[in-house]
Amino acid sequence: MIASLGAKAVQDVVDAGRFGRFTWRAATTSLRCCLVRGTFPLVWNQVNVIGVRSVPVIMITGAFVGMTLAVQAYDQLAGMGLEEHLGVLINIAVVKELGPVLAAVMLAGRVGGALTAELGTMNVTEQIDAVRSMGTDPIRYLVAPRLLACLLLTPILIMYADVMGVIGGALVSFLQLGINSRAYWNFSAAGVELWDVAIGVVKGFFFGGAIATISCYKGFNCKEGAHGVGQACTDAFVASFISILALDFALAVVFKSIYLTFWPIKSLV
Amino acid sequence: MTADFGVCGLERQNDQKEPAGENGAANTQIEVRNLTKKFGRKLVLDNVSVSIDRGKTTVIIGPSGCGKTVLMKHFIVLQRPTAGEVYFDGQRIDHLSERELNRVRTRFGYLFQEGALFDSMSVAENIMFPIKQHFKGVTWRQVEDVVKAKLAMVGLDGFQNYYPANLSGGQRKRVALARAIALNPEVILYDEPTTGLDPIRSDIINELVLKLERDLGVTSVVVTHDMRSAYKVGDRIIMLHNGRIIADGDADHIRDHPHPTVQQFINGQVSEDDLAVLRMSGAVATSQFLPRDFQQ
Repeated sequence: MIASLGAKAVQDVVDAGRFGRFTWRAATTSLRCCLVRGTFPLVWNQVNVIGVRSVPVIMITGAFVGMTLAVQAYDQLAGMGLEEHLGVLINIAVVKELGPVLAAVMLAGRVGGALTAELGTMNVTEQIDAVRSMGTDPIRYLVAPRLLACLLLTPILIMYADVMGVIGGALVSFLQLGINSRAYWNFSAAGVELWDVAIGVVKGFFFGGAIATISCYKGFNCKEGAHGVGQACTDAFVASFISILALDFALAVVFKSIYLTFWPIKSLV
Repeated sequence: MTADFGVCGLERQNDQKEPAGENGAANTQIEVRNLTKKFGRKLVLDNVSVSIDRGKTTVIIGPSGCGKTVLMKHFIVLQRPTAGEVYFDGQRIDHLSERELNRVRTRFGYLFQEGALFDSMSVAENIMFPIKQHFKGVTWRQVEDVVKAKLAMVGLDGFQNYYPANLSGGQRKRVALARAIALNPEVILYDEPTTGLDPIRSDIINELVLKLERDLGVTSVVVTHDMRSAYKVGDRIIMLHNGRIIADGDADHIRDHPHPTVQQFINGQVSEDDLAVLRMSGAVATSQFLPRDFQQ
């Protein structure tokens, strides 16, 4: 038992090392690709696949987050006579936390799954080996465009989710809960800062990087057969999801430290 | 050549040759020395040394899972050796970085077992791929002409706009071959080029291998377990068994080889050991209830 635990620990360290090396190569290759004009068409293809086709689902996610928050938070605030502050709570929660995290989780499922399945299928059908056999670096040709597209588009998609979350929350607040719209927007404007919006968008950059790197790595290393590809997709989603949560926590700590360095703490209400 | 035959056991009866020395080096294009490959604890290649002659067609035969494809992937360093060395044109290549290897790999063409065509690209785009990756200054017209010429060589001119999913197995292999020769390689590696094809389509592929050797003067390495194909295209045949070379020579040498495993393989005969296993499993099967038992 001890031997098997030890072997598993060694394997985990080896896997972590492989992933670290893959991430390093993907990052440095992507940086180099930014300077090469031939990369732009490849990135543009991925922009369409990753970005444009994700817009509807991201907007729906954002809208429901805002609407649900309005319904759930209303009773708590109304009990204290603070229902007109509902906008602050909804909008801060949407732009700072729930919008970015849920949009990223949705992207991990939609885009990450597709990336892993595509690259995994290419791997088991030897298409990645074919790229290498023709003297082309598969990291440059397959990973860098996907990583760059995810880095570029995740923050933009998160902005879509934020906008829809704000609109969804406002509509439910006005139409269903009967909150005065002028008060709603006044309190929101006073409570939500550009900093809060920026945090959410910057988080998107990190989430996008994590989703692309993990999904591509799992695709490149998936086992043979349909089961192997399916397992790689599941693993990629789980790993991306956990990474999003861990990154969200780490970034929250970092951004809070930065904020407190420059500004005093401010109450929501 | 067949050292210790009948004395030291089957695994030591082999034609394993010493790596090319000074005299043979000029004629040797690819060479592996003492190559060992393990996947985890599984030993796939066991201290294999072989040299591939320039301008000749070398066929590697052996039963499924014996390490043929793994050995051929080492020639182009798609696999890194666990131990041993790989040389191409006298230069050691197994320790090069991927970026350095990319330059070497453009001198190879590799026909994968299932073709490995990019299914999101048309036939023309597949063949254009290596050209566009390595020749930035060429015009669209020039690339189109090359694609047309390469497809004509494999008898598929006019299929430029087809997608791999719309092609038959034989056509896919021919397109893959056209892609493999797109950069005018010095060496073409064929991984089971006739597997899964009917005898006529297989013969078309064999003729293409011979044609490319004749017209382009390329060095060819063919991995196969199709003996008809091996005899037809091979100047030299190497047999791998359990990760080691057990026979190496021309077609006549292989036909007359004394090693029983070689004879079983080339004649397609099952061994007594395998028969014993089959008989045993047959006995188990008859003891089980089958649907017809209930019908009777």
